[in-house]
Amino acid sequence: MNTTILLLLAQDGVTNGAIYALLGFGLVLVFAVTRVILIPQGEFITFGALTYAALASGKLPGTAELACALGFVAFCVEMFSIRHQFTTGRLVRATALYILAPALALVLAQFACRGTSSATINIALSLMIVGPIGLYLYRIAYQPIAHASVLVLLIASVGVHLALQGLALLFFGAEGMRAPTITDVAASIGPLRVTGQTLAVYIVAASLIVALWLFFGHTVYGKALRATAVNRIGARLVGIRTVLSGQIAFMLAAGIGAISGILIVPMTTIYYDSGFLIGLKGFIAAIVGGLASYPLTAAAAVAVGIVEAFSSFYASNFKEVIVFALIVPVLLARSLSAPIMEEEKD
Amino acid sequence: MSQRWSIALFALVMALFPVLPGIPPFWMVLLDNIGLAALVALGLVLLTGVGGLTSFGQAAFCGFGAYTTAVLTTSFGLSPWLTLPASLLVTGLLAVVLGLITVRLSGHYLPLGTIAWGLSVYYLFSKLEFLGRNDGISGIPPISIGSLKMMSAGSIYYVIWSAVLISSLLTLNLLDSRLGRAIRALRRGHLAAEAFGVQTARAKLLVFIYAAILAGLSGWLYAHFLRAVNPTPFGAQAGIEYLFIAVVGGAGYVWGAVLGSGIVVILQEILKSEMFSALGEGQLEIVVFGVLLVVLLQAAPGGVWPRVAAFWPFERRSDKLPAGERLAARPKVDIAGKMLLEVQGARKQFGGVVAVNDVSFKISPRQIVALIGPNGAGKSTTFNLITGVLAATSGKISMLGRPIIGLPPQEIVRRGIARTFQHVKLVPDMTVLENVAIGTHLRGHAGAIASMLRLDRRDEARLLAEAARQIKRVGLEGQMYQLAGNLALGQQRIVEIARALCADPILLLLDEPAAGLRHNEKQQLAALLRQLKHEGMSILLVEHDMGFVMNLAEQIVVLDFGTKIAEGAPSEIKSNPDVVRAYLGVAA
Amino acid sequence: MNRIVFAAAAVFALLPLSARAGDEGKEIVIGITLSTTGPAAALGIPERNALDFVPKEIGGVKLKVIALDDGGDPTNATNNARRFVTEANADIIMGSSVTPPTIAVSTVANEAGVPHFGLAPMPFTAARLKWSVDLPQPIPVVGKVLYDHMKKNGVKTVGFIGYSDSYGDLWMNDLKAQAAAMGIQIVADERYARPDTSVTGQVLKLVAANPDAILVGASGTAAALPQVELRERGYKGPIYQSHGAASMDFIRIAGNAAEGVFIAAGPVMAPEGQDDQSLTKKPGLALDTAYETKYGPNSRSQFAAHSYDAFEILKRVLPIALKHASPGTPEFREAIRKALLSEKEIAASQGVYNFTEQDRSGVDERSRILLTVKNGKYQVVK
Repeated sequence: MNTTILLLLAQDGVTNGAIYALLGFGLVLVFAVTRVILIPQGEFITFGALTYAALASGKLPGTAELACALGFVAFCVEMFSIRHQFTTGRLVRATALYILAPALALVLAQFACRGTSSATINIALSLMIVGPIGLYLYRIAYQPIAHASVLVLLIASVGVHLALQGLALLFFGAEGMRAPTITDVAASIGPLRVTGQTLAVYIVAASLIVALWLFFGHTVYGKALRATAVNRIGARLVGIRTVLSGQIAFMLAAGIGAISGILIVPMTTIYYDSGFLIGLKGFIAAIVGGLASYPLTAAAAVAVGIVEAFSSFYASNFKEVIVFALIVPVLLARSLSAPIMEEEKD
Repeated sequence: MSQRWSIALFALVMALFPVLPGIPPFWMVLLDNIGLAALVALGLVLLTGVGGLTSFGQAAFCGFGAYTTAVLTTSFGLSPWLTLPASLLVTGLLAVVLGLITVRLSGHYLPLGTIAWGLSVYYLFSKLEFLGRNDGISGIPPISIGSLKMMSAGSIYYVIWSAVLISSLLTLNLLDSRLGRAIRALRRGHLAAEAFGVQTARAKLLVFIYAAILAGLSGWLYAHFLRAVNPTPFGAQAGIEYLFIAVVGGAGYVWGAVLGSGIVVILQEILKSEMFSALGEGQLEIVVFGVLLVVLLQAAPGGVWPRVAAFWPFERRSDKLPAGERLAARPKVDIAGKMLLEVQGARKQFGGVVAVNDVSFKISPRQIVALIGPNGAGKSTTFNLITGVLAATSGKISMLGRPIIGLPPQEIVRRGIARTFQHVKLVPDMTVLENVAIGTHLRGHAGAIASMLRLDRRDEARLLAEAARQIKRVGLEGQMYQLAGNLALGQQRIVEIARALCADPILLLLDEPAAGLRHNEKQQLAALLRQLKHEGMSILLVEHDMGFVMNLAEQIVVLDFGTKIAEGAPSEIKSNPDVVRAYLGVAA
Repeated sequence: MNRIVFAAAAVFALLPLSARAGDEGKEIVIGITLSTTGPAAALGIPERNALDFVPKEIGGVKLKVIALDDGGDPTNATNNARRFVTEANADIIMGSSVTPPTIAVSTVANEAGVPHFGLAPMPFTAARLKWSVDLPQPIPVVGKVLYDHMKKNGVKTVGFIGYSDSYGDLWMNDLKAQAAAMGIQIVADERYARPDTSVTGQVLKLVAANPDAILVGASGTAAALPQVELRERGYKGPIYQSHGAASMDFIRIAGNAAEGVFIAAGPVMAPEGQDDQSLTKKPGLALDTAYETKYGPNSRSQFAAHSYDAFEILKRVLPIALKHASPGTPEFREAIRKALLSEKEIAASQGVYNFTEQDRSGVDERSRILLTVKNGKYQVVK
């Protein structure tokens, strides 16, 4: 093994790690606000990637219709739940959020795939479609059981994951898609070739980590979101709208997932079920970060990426065994170093 | 109808089921699958629902059981009955190894840890030559009795469901025992259980191994049911599926495991046959299944079993007092003239913050001492230092002249110091009697196997009788069979006192026992504490109700910002200017 | 209220399961279990799609086709197969789409004495020889065409990259057995998984080993991942792909990197250019025309051909079996089994089948062709 290979492997690891980090952020964000372990985060990657790829190839993605359908269901759920405190304002807000927004995205998508739309428009449209799906899912699946235990929320996540993955297969087929690169810019640094695409991955990951850190650590609203997770009733008492914060967290997570998908789909083939495995790596990073720390999550994500890259070079047949077996001692070390505290459950 | 009769009826129905006319043979296949999944889910009920340890790795243990018998029967020609103990042993041993690691993981690290080793094991199955790599091992012989080979789904049915029923009964027995109460207390945190001598790490390991062995049993049956094994059914998806079976059924209930696997297996089968449409690419069945799973959880977040059980004609357990021989009391030691508890320069620092600053005080036999001070004065921390929950930074604590500092909580309660908690730590879904009986943990001896086989009944009767006696003593006999979570907070504090009394202590540490009590209840509590003192007990209490303290305590220690500012008889304390200042602020 | 809902739900839940008995009659029941969801969906979906184009009756007897999904899981496949055997009283079982569930189905079929048509490569053991036949071309038959081409072009060393599953194992083992004997040295064995997003590590190692040629043992569009990466990392030698990869989707995903690849395939990928007397031409054209009319140009699929071909075989054997016994009886199944052995030169889109007691794949060199990609289109390498 020479330095060139070492550098190339490290680059591959960092690129993958940056994607894992993005997903890890989404998971930390959602957990920090709602206590939901968001297994469907992987599906948001798939949805984002395949929606973008479909738009780029001039096809109408099924997710645009899904967003409308989910919006409609969410609207019905919302109307049912506010039937005793019904106001016109609420009706207008719900109609705009659940009916008009996805309908607008659908119409725009229909226009976009008729002509040849630019990459920017396609990216914006993909986010417009996938982001709200996250919000609607929270409204439909999680909001009614927001007080349930972490375990029940986790199993609900499994249900959502299964449904979304099945829909992805329905919409996009089993054979996967690749999208054209967003930019063909490339530069060489020694033996490394840095393409615009990988650069975009690094920049987006780095700016998101800074943004999230600033948002949660230094803004009143960010702190309020975190407070919701620790104590829902307490948060409500001091005037934080827990429902709204949950919806926002889900929309942000779906958006982050979609961005990751859009970034990765020009670099590799994304299948209807790719998201789960990518999401799992992000999950590992998020947990090692204690489902709380963004910088630690990023570090863990990059570490996972690098271990993966090197083990696929040295012992590709045992890559998964190596990656997953190495996590156990890390978790053990994290557990033993964590301060002993009483875990109150239920 | 009592629970025992319900189980017998269920067993009878299950036994007659295959011979009923008109039962489609495919139902046998489904029932076999339900039974196989129920065994694994049963382990998860104990591990996750009762013990609070979420595991995604149970499928790996099925794999250990299945592969062990596959290798032994095909490569070495052993009979399946011989490989049964081997399968369980291999699974059990590997569970010890994985369990020693897993139970040390805290919080969210634990579920991820189970995913990690679960996936590693799964990938390893597909890489190992002697396990047939990805194609696995086929040609596994069926289970046979004499010349009867259990090839058909209808014949192995009896083996599978016998296993389910026996395992369920053993699990129910285990839960209804000294060890079972300890396991049920785990989910509510370690402190309370450890304060009464439960070795929580060992209890966790025990349920982990138990759940693994049930999964191994399921794996053994699976191998002989399918007569072929390969890695696919032992991967992450299966691990997740077992978990949601347990949650859908009701993660805290033994019969929830059976019901949950029934619901999931039948639902999947119906969807599969009804939804197989030519709908372009892909399938709706999985989408519908996912949606139904969410709907089910929304309709019954606690699982379906408690909903079903609500209209079951179960008879509530009889309200008669448990009877049993008296437990042997703590051997009398000569305490005359010795100091019962001596705290010398105890100090606790959290980083730069000094929570307890070189505090010293003494408790003589038959003395009631009160520890008072404003909020944050370090009273509870002092309690935690004495009871071994926290390790002191420096200082000495000794009991009857022997140092107890550095001992774990389990050892300290064994020496005769029992406590209550400022934030009540009862198990809300256990009855008052069961909660109180946790206090007797160290006075019983029955182990897991004895409990499962009901060989512990004499021991158990003694423990429950003692618990009932203490409940009566604190005046809660009317609430004995109520769930602890349904009691008023003040009553819950009294339940904690009864639990502490069950440990037969010589020193009782009470953390705000009178909070939440009405006036006459306080009077009764004071009378009880005086009575205890009269019988030879010493008491150290933290309390905010000054009237209560001044009337009761003989000696008062006042803490402020971790430092002892006064000590003396109530009359001296009342007039101590430092105390007044600490309580009322500098301006006073 | 709750009580009624629960009771209704329970009754509703059990209804569909009970309304199944009594399906016998004068029809031949064929049970098919396919992996239309899960990791093998790319194989199972075209296999199911092809069912639209199979005959509705053979020899004047109606065919009742029951297709179920197994998601690639052997446990589900076993359940499905047992369901076919017990509940549907099936005379023929087909499936599944990948190796592990196919083995599971074969186990059930052989125990129950029902003819079984495997649709994925399957290792045969004594216990599976009697009732199972396997439609996909065995790897050694397909591999030969690739190794011959390597030999002819002076390849001395070969690097392998394939799936870390059964399929990859089958190819690696065959490469060891056949190519090594032909004097081609294997210098690297790298593995990856279908959903992997990066094969950089594996490809760097292959490029460092610098073999004369590289063989990719993967199926579906995921076979394009190393193809693209190898070209990006500057590997100039010939790349060989297995027949699992041959589809238009492969070119769609691999793009320019696909140019010049050598890819083994079944004849169904190019029936148009075959000689008129070639037995695979007619069924191949029939399937491809029907399939591409419904699923779009260039959508032809080898996996679809496998399930289609199973019915091509049935067209030959069922009329014979019907002379000896009536459907739904063990005698009928035995007659099918015998007819499978007695009938020779059974023409199908993917090959010409001649089953024997030992050769349960029954195909020869007519079952494979070699393709290359030029200007984004497949061309047959003569």
